[in-house]
Amino acid sequence: MASLSYDEAAHLIRRAGFGGTPEEIDDLSSRGREGAVDFLINFNQIDNTSMQSLLSASFDFSDLTNNDKFNNNEIRRWWFTRMVATKRQFEEKMTLFWHNHFATSSSKVQDVFMYLQNVLLRANSLAKFDDLLLKVSQDAAMLIWLDNITNVLGKPNENFGRELQELFTMGINDVVTGDQNYTEQDVKEVARAFTGWDYQRRAPFSFQLKAAQHDNGTKTIYGQQGNFSGEDVITIISARPAMARYLTWKMFNFFVYPMTTSADDTSTIDRFSKVYLNNNHSIKELVRAIFTSDEFYSSRAFFSLVKQPAELVVGAVRMLGGNYNPGSTVTTPSRTSNTLAASSRNMGQDLFGPPDVSGWDFNLAWVNTASLLERFNFANTYLTNRNTTNPGVFVTADQLKSITKPSSKKTVKKFLARLGPLSTDALGTLRTYLETGDNGQPVTYVNDDATVDKKIRGLVHQIMCLPEFQLN
Amino acid sequence: MAINRRQFIKRSAGAVSVSLVLPRFWMSNVARGQGIAADPSRKIFVVIQLAGGNDGLNTVVPYTDSHYQSLRPVIGFTDTELKDENGNSTILGSDPFALNPAMGELKSLYDAHKVAIVLGAGYLNPNLSHFFSMDIWQTANTSGAGSGWLGKYADQKLLGKSGLSAVSIGSALPKTFYADKVVIPNISPAGGTDPFALYAYQTDPSAAGVRDKNNQLNTFKATNSRSFPADSFIGALAKAGFDAEEGAAQLRAAVAAYTPGATYPTNNTPSATAVSFASALKMVAQIITTIPDANLFYVQLGAFDHHSQEIGTNTDNFTDRTKGQHAVLLKALSLGVKTFYDDLTAHGLADNVVMMTWSEFGRRPNENASKGTDHGTASPMFVIGNPVQGGLFGQQPSLTDLDSAGNIKYKVDFRSTYATILDKWLGADSQSILGAKYDNLGFLV
Repeated sequence: MASLSYDEAAHLIRRAGFGGTPEEIDDLSSRGREGAVDFLINFNQIDNTSMQSLLSASFDFSDLTNNDKFNNNEIRRWWFTRMVATKRQFEEKMTLFWHNHFATSSSKVQDVFMYLQNVLLRANSLAKFDDLLLKVSQDAAMLIWLDNITNVLGKPNENFGRELQELFTMGINDVVTGDQNYTEQDVKEVARAFTGWDYQRRAPFSFQLKAAQHDNGTKTIYGQQGNFSGEDVITIISARPAMARYLTWKMFNFFVYPMTTSADDTSTIDRFSKVYLNNNHSIKELVRAIFTSDEFYSSRAFFSLVKQPAELVVGAVRMLGGNYNPGSTVTTPSRTSNTLAASSRNMGQDLFGPPDVSGWDFNLAWVNTASLLERFNFANTYLTNRNTTNPGVFVTADQLKSITKPSSKKTVKKFLARLGPLSTDALGTLRTYLETGDNGQPVTYVNDDATVDKKIRGLVHQIMCLPEFQLN
Repeated sequence: MAINRRQFIKRSAGAVSVSLVLPRFWMSNVARGQGIAADPSRKIFVVIQLAGGNDGLNTVVPYTDSHYQSLRPVIGFTDTELKDENGNSTILGSDPFALNPAMGELKSLYDAHKVAIVLGAGYLNPNLSHFFSMDIWQTANTSGAGSGWLGKYADQKLLGKSGLSAVSIGSALPKTFYADKVVIPNISPAGGTDPFALYAYQTDPSAAGVRDKNNQLNTFKATNSRSFPADSFIGALAKAGFDAEEGAAQLRAAVAAYTPGATYPTNNTPSATAVSFASALKMVAQIITTIPDANLFYVQLGAFDHHSQEIGTNTDNFTDRTKGQHAVLLKALSLGVKTFYDDLTAHGLADNVVMMTWSEFGRRPNENASKGTDHGTASPMFVIGNPVQGGLFGQQPSLTDLDSAGNIKYKVDFRSTYATILDKWLGADSQSILGAKYDNLGFLV
């Protein structure tokens, strides 16, 4: 069994989650590479009652028609609360992966369906891919989002049939061979297979096939003829090697490093896609293979991605051991804070509101002066919020003080370790900050309360403004 | 072979230059507070979104049409009401239309031939969802998908220009400005005397923190000006980060040199909405007068979703058609636009600016029982400015030829208005942006 160093464990929990405290990282490290991954992906075995208690105390989703307690803002607050408070970090991260993959937006789909889709993605995040795809395809959110409810016999709507192939399963071209995966005729024929797929308009909004609107004729799909149903199409696509390669490619880009079209990278994709094909389309075995691979722990992978906004805001709280008090609609008067969702949105990632069906663009797409200003100002708000009673995001003076050391150098190192661990040549500059007074004069650093409240808050803000911190 | 957007981004990732919100004016007259020299080639476009679905029939009122009166016995204007608060008629000359009585300022611009009204603007198979119809108008695509129409323009024309060449003023970036290559900033108005205060690198607001502010800024600049390998993510992050702080500081320094050339409304008069809308336009004026690259702006006014109590106030038991929620918003529009126009005129920039209003849909011709109107379809658009040929364009939809939902049928595709502006004002190729050729409506020559 391969060992797992502290830095490797920190990398693992940043990617398979949002980042950990030193205690969490030490625990993962002690389990070894395979053991740590096994622990993270078997998240159902991790006790999560503390998060459930927080959710119960903070949200009232008992009546999804109650617009005061269940709405656009509340579903976002709910998900960010989960991401910060869960003990099952990979469960939330995988849900985020699927939300981006099956990108559906509240710009068109009602909140109740967005929420139910999110619950569905979470519950099936490591299922057999065929099963997940079928459930998502038969769920109200997707049926509405890609207009399948108007896809009827004689008047097919190709929206779902096209994106199913282009974005959810194979891509236009095979990511390994470059071959075209399907034709425009396939799009038309696949659309016919999904005619009549609809949902019941009353809770629990279950799937229903409107038989009279379903096209029972013979379809020709990928050169095969038959009276294919939508279920048949999903089974056929889920078994195609192009599908396995596309999913592997997306997972590498999301979890490991940006893929290129080099021979090395296409060969890597091909190799990992076989894990999917040889394990009955198991998502769980594919992610296990990826997170235990040498590629994942290669120097190429470390800090090779730009942090997604959701990763940044949640990670800032989790890694530092800070606090997000989401507030509550259960208590009276209800007072809540949706600051994490709002900050993430301002940085370019509005959860439940991806820009379009292809999801978010990553890495350089997050990098522009307006969004970076949001990142810097989020860090400032987080570090300088001294109100520890109201809903919001904050870190207490005691929490900060416990991380300090008597020497400025060790203090800077300690915080860099906490927030990554980050490797940077800016250590000297940060140390100088701690040793500079209000008028620019040199001062001696002491970790007393006044210094913690001013300089340590400033130091952590400055670390969160480092370009190194923007990477994952 | 088709390349989708995601693949395009991926393939070009190494080559994509990071968009910089960096005003390039530090050595200019502007930075010294001397303003920008007049330049006839400057073509500035300001989009005004009337969010929530503006009631077009009570904005440009077909007052001579008897069906207007019969469909709107409660909220429809009578002839004698069609005059502004100063008693001046809002009837559009010999044409069978009048502006809402709240729009006296806009009427004066119309009389001066500075306002084109595009009647009956909409699209085939109208969608009555706010969000979906907004997406359609913002993407100029009836699927509502893809980047914004001005985002596409920005990708073609603004790459490499100052990052403040396009700016949205509001709570969030509108989809109209979603682009694939250029990143357009949204600036949230801070209100008060420093409306750009939120667009700044912020430090600890506590007393001790404020005293430490220079140390924070020095640290930030030092860590973000380190050199990193070219074409690396970390290099792009450091550069964009450094430029974010510098650019925001420069912007605030520059806009501080601005002196308004008109009196913008204050003190909740005539309404809080009018003040905040005019303040957003004032921010636009501040940028236009200080940033030479300034090109595209976006401001919003809302919410026009008047399902009930569209007219009247408590004091008149909701009967006074010249007052009420709709009148307040249209007054805000009219006063804000006129003040902004006067300010531009005083700065010698009125020949450089075209404004356009749009709303995701109009409202149903037949009023409902709540003194309001439900979601409708086509509605008029206003195109305003010195470069505009004033008058009526498009065609008024019939009030007797309604669709199955009881809504009017559009007469002009809204994308014709876009195309006219793209081709005749912004010097773009509208077909490559809108995906098809649309009529030139003729309000710009």
